[in-house]
Amino acid sequence: MKNRKKDTLLSYLWSTPSLILIALMVVFPILYTGYISLTNMNVYHWFDFTIVGMENYIRALFVFDSGFLSALIATVIWTAVNMVLQLIIAFVLVTLLNVQKLKLRKLYKTLLMFPWAMPGYVSILLWKTGMFNTQFGLLNQWMEKLGQDAVRWLSSDVSAFICCTVVNLWLALPFMIMIMDGAMQSIDRSYYESALLDGASWLDRTRYITVPAITPIIAPAVIITVFTTFKQFDVVYLLTQQAGAKTGSGFHTILTYAYENAFITNNYGYSSAISIIIFILLLVFSARYQMREERDR
Amino acid sequence: MKKTLALILALIMLVSMTACRTTIDPAQANKLTVWHDKEDAVIEALESYLKTAVPDVEIVFEKKTSLTDSLKLVGNDPSAAPDLFIFAHDKVGVFAEMGILAPVKDLLAADALEHYLPMTVEAGTYQDTLYQLPLYFETLLFMYNRRYMQDDEVPVTTDGLLAYMQKNTGRGRYGFVEQHSTAYYSAAWIHGFGGSIIDGSGTPFPDAKAVKDALEYHLKFVALMPGETEYNTVNTLFLEGKADATIGGPWMVPSARAAEINLGIAAMPTVDATGKALAPYSGVQGLHVLKYAAEHKSEAVKKLCAALTDPAIGIDLALASGCAPANALCYDDERVKNDELVQAMRATAEIAVPMPNIPEMDVMWTVVGNLLTDVNLSGKGIDDSFDAALKQAEQLIDAMK
Repeated sequence: MKNRKKDTLLSYLWSTPSLILIALMVVFPILYTGYISLTNMNVYHWFDFTIVGMENYIRALFVFDSGFLSALIATVIWTAVNMVLQLIIAFVLVTLLNVQKLKLRKLYKTLLMFPWAMPGYVSILLWKTGMFNTQFGLLNQWMEKLGQDAVRWLSSDVSAFICCTVVNLWLALPFMIMIMDGAMQSIDRSYYESALLDGASWLDRTRYITVPAITPIIAPAVIITVFTTFKQFDVVYLLTQQAGAKTGSGFHTILTYAYENAFITNNYGYSSAISIIIFILLLVFSARYQMREERDR
Repeated sequence: MKKTLALILALIMLVSMTACRTTIDPAQANKLTVWHDKEDAVIEALESYLKTAVPDVEIVFEKKTSLTDSLKLVGNDPSAAPDLFIFAHDKVGVFAEMGILAPVKDLLAADALEHYLPMTVEAGTYQDTLYQLPLYFETLLFMYNRRYMQDDEVPVTTDGLLAYMQKNTGRGRYGFVEQHSTAYYSAAWIHGFGGSIIDGSGTPFPDAKAVKDALEYHLKFVALMPGETEYNTVNTLFLEGKADATIGGPWMVPSARAAEINLGIAAMPTVDATGKALAPYSGVQGLHVLKYAAEHKSEAVKKLCAALTDPAIGIDLALASGCAPANALCYDDERVKNDELVQAMRATAEIAVPMPNIPEMDVMWTVVGNLLTDVNLSGKGIDDSFDAALKQAEQLIDAMK
C-alpha cells in the first residue's frame, strides 16, 4: 500500500515538467482569455482596464445574429464535406499504395507528403495566384485553350466553397494518408489470405476486414481533423476574405465571421468573450464526440 | 501586534518605492532605440545622416515586421518598448488613446515646423495635439506606360479616362487598371465626389449621397477592369505591359523602371460631374516618441528631433528612395526639383487627403472593403450594400468602446 502511494507520487513528480509546460502553453492562455473577457480592455482602456463582469458576453450575443448562424451552418457543412472527401480520397490512395508489387511505392508516398512540407500560408497563396487567378491562373489558361471565357473562381459562394475545399484537401490529405497507411499496414496479411481462400471479393475484404481493422486506429486522427477543419481560418480567409484582396464571395466560417465582426475592433475584452463562446461551442462538440466514443466502446 | 504590522507594512512600502524609483544610467540616456518597418534605403540614409548630425547620441534602428502589434503589447513597458518609432500617421489615434505617445511639439523648437507642408502636420495631429514629427509622405499617382499611352493622350478628366478605357480594353489588354475594390484606392473616387469614408468625429460616411454617386460612377470603370482587385494582379498587368495606365504608389516605380517601362506620371484626372480631382489618401511617415523616452531621455530625443527637422535629411531621403519630404524647403534643392516622381507627389499633396488617424478608421478599412466587394464584384445593389455597410460600421465602432 505504501509502495503504491509512493509510485503514484513519483509518477506525478516525473510528469510535473510536462504538466507545467501544458499549463503554461494551453491552460494559461485560456484562463487569461477568460479573465480579459471580463474586462473592458480596448483602445480606450488599454493599460487601465477594469472588470466589467458579463457585459462583453451580453454584447457578444449580438454578434451571433443571422450572419453568425449562416456562418455556423456553412462551417458544419464545410467540416462534413471535407471530412467525407478526406476519408474517401485518403482511403482510395492508400489502397492503391498498398497494391502488392507496386513499383516506386516510396516515391509516390514522398510525393503525397509534399504538401505537408510546404508552409500552409505559401501553399494557399500559390493556389490563389497560380490556379484560381482570373488573369494568370492555370485553370483559366485551360479554359482559354478550350475556347471558354475566363471564370472568376473565387467570386461566388458555391465556387469559393469548392475552391477552398480543394485547397484544404491538398493541405490535409498527407496527414490522413499517413495515418491510414500506417493503420492499413498493421493489418495481418493472413486475414486477407483466408478471405481470398473463402472467395471474398475486394469489396467484401474492404467491408469486413480493412474498414473494421483501421477504424479504431484512425479514429483519433479523424477527431483531430474534424476540429482543425471546424476552426479553419487560413484557407477561407486567405483565399477569399483577405483585406485588400476580397473576391466577392460571402462564404464565411465562424472564425472568419468573428474576425470580421469583432477581432478588428481592437476591443480585446469583447473579442475574448467571443473567443470563449466559440471555445465552449467546440468543447460541447468535443464532449459529444467523446461520449459517443465511450458509448460505442 | 498592530505596531508590528504597521512596521512591516511601512518596510514593504519603502522597499517597493525604492524598487520602483526609476534611475537612468547616463549612458542609457544617450542611447535611443527606434523601431521601424521601412525599406533599407530609407534607414541607411537616416543612419548615415544622423551619425554626423547627432554624433553624441547613439541611435539604434530596429526593423519590426509587426510593429503595431508589438507596440500594443509592450508600449508602456520601458524595458521592452523602443524609445521612438517611425511609422505611418494613421495609427496615431490608436496609440494616443492607448496613452503611450508623447506630444512632439514640446520636443521641438517653436518654429521647427514653420516650413512643413500643412497636410503633413495635419496628418499627425490627433485631438489638436501633434504626435508625429513628419519625415516624408507617400500618395497614389496616375502612372502610364508611354509605349501605349502617349503624353497627349493622358486623360485630364474621368470621362476622358473612361473613353480611353473603352477604346483600348479587350483581347487580354486593359486601358487602365487599379485595385478598384480596396478602400485605400477607392477613397480617391469617393473624395472626388466630395464624400469621405469617415469624418473627424468618427461618423462613418457623413455624406451618403456622395459615396453612392461615386460607387455608381466607378462601376463603369470596374466593368472594364479585371475581376481581381489585389495588388499583385494589378501590378503585374501594368509591369508586363498588359495595362496602359494605373493608379499606384511610389513603391511601384523601382519595379516599373526595372521592367524597362517608359514610365510617365501625370496629375490625377478630374471628375467631370463635380470638377474635383480624384483625391487619393496620403500616408505621412514620421517619428513618434514614446512617453518614457520623452520624460527620461528628453535631451537626446530633442537633439534627434532637431536634426530631423533640418531640410538636409529630407533631401537625402528624396534622393535615396524617391520619398517626398514633409519639409517644403527640401523642394528648393535642384536635385529634388528635377525628380519627376517627387515633384508629382509634391503636386498631389495639394489635393491628397491624409488617411484618417482616428481609431475608428481601423474598422472602416474592412467595412469599405466589404461595400466595394458587394457592389463591384458581387453585383449587389448600391443602396442595399451601402445600408448594410453603414450598419456594420456603426456596430463595429460601437464595439470598439
